[in-house]
Amino acid sequence: MRPILELRNLKMYYDTQAGQVKAADDVSFVLNEGESIGLVGESGCGKTSISMSIMRLLPENARIISGNIFFDGKDMVKLSNDEMNKIRWAGIAMIFQAAMNSLNPVYRVGDQIIEAITTHEPNVTFEEARQRVASLYKLVGLDPERMDNYPHEYSGGMKQRAVIAMSLACNPKLIIADEPTTALDVIVQDTILRELEKIQRKLNMSMIYISHDIAVIAEVASRIAIMYAGKIVEMSDSVTIFKRPAHPYTVGLMSSFPSIRGEKKELVTIPGEPPNLLNAPDHCRFAPRCPFATDECWKHMPSYAEVESNHFVACFHPQNLKKRVSANV
Amino acid sequence: MLKYIGNRILQIAILLVIYVAIVFFMLHAMPGGIKTLLISNPKLTPQAQESIIRAFGLNQPLWLQFVDYMKNVFTLNLGISFSYYPTPVWNIIAERLPRTVLLFTVATLIAFFVGFASGKSLAWNRGKTTEYVSTVVGIITYTIFTPLLIFVVIWFFGSFLGIFPLNQFLNPDLWIHTRLNAQVIFLYILMTMLIIGAVMLISYIMALRFSHKVMTRKMIFYLSTVISVVFSVFFWWVSPVGIYAADILWHMVLPVMTVTIISYAGNMLVMRDSMLETIKEDFITTARAKGLPDKVVRDKHAARTAMLPVVTNFVLSLGFVVSGGVITESLFSWPGMGMTLLDSTLAKDYPLAAGALIFTGIFVLIAHLVVDIVYAFLDPRIRY
Amino acid sequence: MADNANMTVEPAEAKLESPISIRMKLMWRAFKENWKIFSQSKIGMIGLYIVVIFAVAGFIVYPILAATVWKTTSLNAMVSYNPVTGYDFLQNNPAAPSWAHLLGTDPLGRDVLAQLLYSTPREFMLGIVAALITVIIGTLIGTVAAYFGGALDTFFMRLADIVLLFPFIPFLIVISGMMEVDLLTLALIIGLLSGFGGITIVLRSQGLIIKSRPFIESAKVSGASDAYIIVNHIIPNVMPLSFLYMMFNVTGAIFSEAVLSFFGLLNIKMSWGLMIYTADTAGYIIGSNIWNYWWLWLPSGASITLLCGAFYFIGRGLDEVVNPRLRKR
Repeated sequence: MRPILELRNLKMYYDTQAGQVKAADDVSFVLNEGESIGLVGESGCGKTSISMSIMRLLPENARIISGNIFFDGKDMVKLSNDEMNKIRWAGIAMIFQAAMNSLNPVYRVGDQIIEAITTHEPNVTFEEARQRVASLYKLVGLDPERMDNYPHEYSGGMKQRAVIAMSLACNPKLIIADEPTTALDVIVQDTILRELEKIQRKLNMSMIYISHDIAVIAEVASRIAIMYAGKIVEMSDSVTIFKRPAHPYTVGLMSSFPSIRGEKKELVTIPGEPPNLLNAPDHCRFAPRCPFATDECWKHMPSYAEVESNHFVACFHPQNLKKRVSANV
Repeated sequence: MLKYIGNRILQIAILLVIYVAIVFFMLHAMPGGIKTLLISNPKLTPQAQESIIRAFGLNQPLWLQFVDYMKNVFTLNLGISFSYYPTPVWNIIAERLPRTVLLFTVATLIAFFVGFASGKSLAWNRGKTTEYVSTVVGIITYTIFTPLLIFVVIWFFGSFLGIFPLNQFLNPDLWIHTRLNAQVIFLYILMTMLIIGAVMLISYIMALRFSHKVMTRKMIFYLSTVISVVFSVFFWWVSPVGIYAADILWHMVLPVMTVTIISYAGNMLVMRDSMLETIKEDFITTARAKGLPDKVVRDKHAARTAMLPVVTNFVLSLGFVVSGGVITESLFSWPGMGMTLLDSTLAKDYPLAAGALIFTGIFVLIAHLVVDIVYAFLDPRIRY
Repeated sequence: MADNANMTVEPAEAKLESPISIRMKLMWRAFKENWKIFSQSKIGMIGLYIVVIFAVAGFIVYPILAATVWKTTSLNAMVSYNPVTGYDFLQNNPAAPSWAHLLGTDPLGRDVLAQLLYSTPREFMLGIVAALITVIIGTLIGTVAAYFGGALDTFFMRLADIVLLFPFIPFLIVISGMMEVDLLTLALIIGLLSGFGGITIVLRSQGLIIKSRPFIESAKVSGASDAYIIVNHIIPNVMPLSFLYMMFNVTGAIFSEAVLSFFGLLNIKMSWGLMIYTADTAGYIIGSNIWNYWWLWLPSGASITLLCGAFYFIGRGLDEVVNPRLRKR
């Protein structure tokens, strides 16, 4: 199990008229080859910012302040845009949220996928490219005959599958799926998720799933990272996250949706709102909403540390731990 | 697709009929209509008035006049011009229409491409001084009072630089010794341009079908264009009437340039706005994520999609460009439809004025139709 | 709240405000908010400044000047200078700018600056009256078509298509050749011609959007008549867009009038376009020495350009107010 992607102390901020927005603040994690991890958090917590930073698709007013993004051993932060272009799609591909708009309406769908192939592999002939698209279509469950249609002739689910096919076109080592199913109805969502998982296992690809819906993540990811206010507050394997969540935020998340089995419990909500990332505070950002907060939480920032084997938390008072380890001094 | 075109043609045909009907209404039924004007001369005796009324069929019931009028117009019987008596109106119009068509088409095409290209780069590279300057220049040319612009253009290029001729269509001194018909030469020039245009179109379509490599396609297209242009120039060069054709073209430069200047800014501003909106779209981010080079994203994805509102805007601004054309033609004495319209109105030559008005309208309608078809080609969502 | 036992107590609750004053307050608040947005648009403010300068020049400065500085000391001692007929015998006309005549005189010996200022209020009136007529017609038709739909809607939209296609200036040229067109008639004609055109299409689209909003439903359910709904609900919500298009219509009207009088087709005594016409027909604008008599055409041409441009700029500035998508972040 060697790491394919590693983020080390990544800091990415936006410059706005009102001040600096700390979208991703000292984020670190490791993704191993063939593994799939999930990135969970509320809107605005920074998950999309991280994926954009990895792909270096940031808008003009965003800057990577410090930190490293190692892909296959090389630090991508230092690369030029031309060099990034070689990595984009061929090394790391992305499936965007609301795929409806990911496809250019004036070109045929098949042509857009072929475009991706011919850009990175110029020696491929047009016929070969078409055949690859056909087999990709079969892989995602689309009829290859429909390769020459325009995007508006596809249904929402079909568009999503086409986008997935497109992301696989150059056989990338890593796929980032940013809310791939949010815009779809529940049935299609379920089907797509199963397909994705099947494809991932079959091709032994690494994946990052980004979502705000922890139920979706639970189905597909082996490890889960919980993000809050621009930081990763907890990361572990899925079972641990669900059965023994350590960070109070995760605890709150777990109790906030119903389970089919078990007794009917009253749903617990987390009071308050996420903090404004504009000029974010230097103490624990969850403190205002945390039932376990103490003075220390209001004064210092908890560091992100491994409290158990393969279980990272950033908290002064982690819960549900097998042994009481004081992770933050 | 064909169904769409057929549909549009039908609609335009109906609109044409309605348009002619409205012109009729304006001429005959408004206060100060034809009847009043023709007989309002106090020197006419009642008998003279009577004979005029009878000659023009003005004593018939209105609906009968209407039917007659429609029949006449659609058989191209537009009456006889007062000021060029006894030349029929249609002859005059037929002679002058191609000149306006040429002026208008060339100027519009250039204006479109210049506006398109500049709007595209402006939106893509924001925040530099060029953006500010280009926008200011664009706004000035967009809002400037057309005669003002023409005065400056005439002075600058005609007097100050002394390059281009200031008016008319040809240099009488040059032509005085030949027995060539300027109109014929002009039509040949027009035909040459049409052939070049056809070659470009065909080579474009062939290139698309023939190969999938962008390089090859570009080569086919540019090569055929260049070959056809070189060939035509060569043909005119060695022909004995070449210098006369050149004379006409030389006279065309300033009017075309003027109409281009007043129309490019509209395209540029709309294209810029449209590009700025399109850049925010998700498929542009996807295109970047696919690792496509910057220029490809800009041209193939952003500009191609942003182009659609510009085409729509072009349709809406047709009236404005035609008006600009009228002013330009008059001030440059370029003998086309616009000048005809103005002169005939000032000379109270109603048949000719009405004819010019009708044909200007037809011209706009056809231009509208052409642009609609082009739009259908550009936007697959319309077709399917 | 009826407590019959205490009927002797004076009701101390505040008087209910009348609907009109509430509406006025809301309008004032909306105006202030929109003003803040508008004032941020550089181009809108420039337009506004120019319009204000011209308005002050035409409506305030000119009458003052006419009554004081430009009184002629001639046979009619107390008569103020009439730039239409006032002839300065003392100079070789057209005379270059001098202290007596700040912008020189035209070929007929009349003071150019006076002509300029005399025409200014007339241009304003023309533009605003024509635009007002256009907007009133357009708003009425647009909202009625949107509200009632069906054949009425189709009819007006087809009509607008036709009107949109009409070559506007050629039509005006022929009309003014056939009848005597003065300023008011011109305003009427322009207003009528434009009123049925493109503006109805835009306002009808907006009307449709308003119509689908829930408060219209509730108004209907509460028994409001169609006329009431149109007048009190749809039209006020469409007004910002109407106002926006009014600016563009003023530009068009002033421009059309200038073109027509430049060709000598109008039956008016003095306007900016007419000033250029006078100079042109007297032969002072020939290509080689247009700069010798620059004051004959440059001030008037520039005024037309500036005033038309100014209203267009205001329109662009208003675009950001009406169309929130265009605003900067």
